[in-house]
Amino acid sequence: MTRNAEAALLAAAAIVASMGVSLVNLASGTGLDAQVALTFLVFAVSFGSIHMALRRWAPEGNPYLFPIAAFLTAMGFTEIYRLDPELASIQRWSLLLAGAATTAVLLFLRDEGVIMLRRYRYIFLATAVLLLLLPLLPESWPLHGAEVNGSRLWVRLELPVGMRTLSFQPGEIAKVLLTIFLASYLADRHVAMAQTGRKLGPIRLPEPRQLGPLLIAAGASFAVLVYQRDLGASLLLFALFVTMVYVATGRAAYLFAGAAIVGAGGYFAYRAFDHVQRRVFAWLHPFEDFADSGYQIVQGLFAMGSGSLTGSGLGLGRPDLIPAASTDFIFASVAEEMGFAGSIAVLAAYGLLVAAGFGIAIRSRDVFRKFLAAGLTIVIGVQAILILGGVLRLLPVTGITLPFMSYGGSSLLANMVLVALLVRASHGERT
Amino acid sequence: MPALFLNLLKLIFIALIYLFLWQIGRSIGAHIGPSQSVRRSKKGGELVVVRSDTIAGQRFPIGAPAVLGRAEDADVYIDDAYASDYHVRIGVQDGSVLLNDLGSTNGTYVNGRRVTVPTALQKGDAVQIGKTIIEVR
Repeated sequence: MTRNAEAALLAAAAIVASMGVSLVNLASGTGLDAQVALTFLVFAVSFGSIHMALRRWAPEGNPYLFPIAAFLTAMGFTEIYRLDPELASIQRWSLLLAGAATTAVLLFLRDEGVIMLRRYRYIFLATAVLLLLLPLLPESWPLHGAEVNGSRLWVRLELPVGMRTLSFQPGEIAKVLLTIFLASYLADRHVAMAQTGRKLGPIRLPEPRQLGPLLIAAGASFAVLVYQRDLGASLLLFALFVTMVYVATGRAAYLFAGAAIVGAGGYFAYRAFDHVQRRVFAWLHPFEDFADSGYQIVQGLFAMGSGSLTGSGLGLGRPDLIPAASTDFIFASVAEEMGFAGSIAVLAAYGLLVAAGFGIAIRSRDVFRKFLAAGLTIVIGVQAILILGGVLRLLPVTGITLPFMSYGGSSLLANMVLVALLVRASHGERT
Repeated sequence: MPALFLNLLKLIFIALIYLFLWQIGRSIGAHIGPSQSVRRSKKGGELVVVRSDTIAGQRFPIGAPAVLGRAEDADVYIDDAYASDYHVRIGVQDGSVLLNDLGSTNGTYVNGRRVTVPTALQKGDAVQIGKTIIEVR
């Protein structure tokens, strides 16, 4: 019974989270307190409800995806708790909300779910575009956009009670909706798009007409870059478009065309925007200006370097010195306090998640499920590579969240729903 | 002493993490890749749906005898209103690929001829079930 294995693994992930929290407490001398029990409880309730929903509505779905997600969430949560218990208690609420939302999605898709996703693709597209435009709402409205660290990708809702603000990143949800749309669109068009166009030497060019959607995608990603000044999201969106077209057609020409567009767009962005220039400079020469532009990268590198093989131990390092340690640079915090061993475990977990996702895509017989599974997997994989590459100084820092690990409710919720769709796509597949 | 204790706990924590990943990795390894039936495809050739509204282009390996039909639990699902629930059985028997019509309502045609007795299939034969045409490759 693989679902029982899932239950055991989810429980193990909850134990990892609560053991991490108790290690942090022991190191700071507070000993075991209610936080440990609370953490276990929240993980158990959240993933428990998802597990029960899967048992009921997707019993044949892949049973290993949610345990990996739970494990990554546990690793991230431990480090968030270590950095700031206040943030951790907010993150616990986010986890409960994400668990509830994921359960609701599974309930909503219980019968003919996957077919429904395919049929109403333009609703998803419209919603995604709307969500991407939300942060541009003027500041004076009750629901308005907000600029954080120079990027305009937040939406704030002023609640009428108690002067509280609810903020979220609509782009996170939009990426899931766009993936559904793309999978559905390509499932109908992939045969035409794979048709060979004219030849130019050894390279077979796709029909110009079929390149249209790709160019629109490039334009949309570029618009995100220009108006929201969000390098990570625009790269993620474009990588998603290009790789999905490649998956659907099997034509490497799309990959080359995409790479050329990224190269040209990147060069243009570098010349035109000073925030891109600053990022690239900090990436290439972090030590030249380590007190200012290179500070974050340098602190991250020192943190990872001081972690050595098994890390300083939870609560015994200084990851708090890294700017944005609990969001973008959470991987550096983990590498410092859990060392090489802990960071390799995190990388392995992402690797397993991507492998399992592509496994679902390979085994699907229905093209829509195939593209959907591939697309969702690409989103997680590319997002992890972009930010991990930034932290490890292999790429410029793009400032997107590390799926499941980074602090932030929108990201957690969107990625949990994403995994739910993956599991749902693998259910009811005749193998 | 507390430092030693904390160090020990740290190592136990990392060991726990790896135990967890080991469990998942082992199970996923068994799960990844084409399913058993697809892996067998090299030996017995395969069936390719060449004409169908919905399932054109799908490929099925020919191995142990499998039932093709419109039923949910048929081994190979044929999405065709003119196909019977359990329409025809195709598979390797005694070294050759045999086709057995299972008393289908609209019949099975091999290269345009209706077959009612077990028939050996060659590569390149076209099998028609309802409006769906499947080629042996």
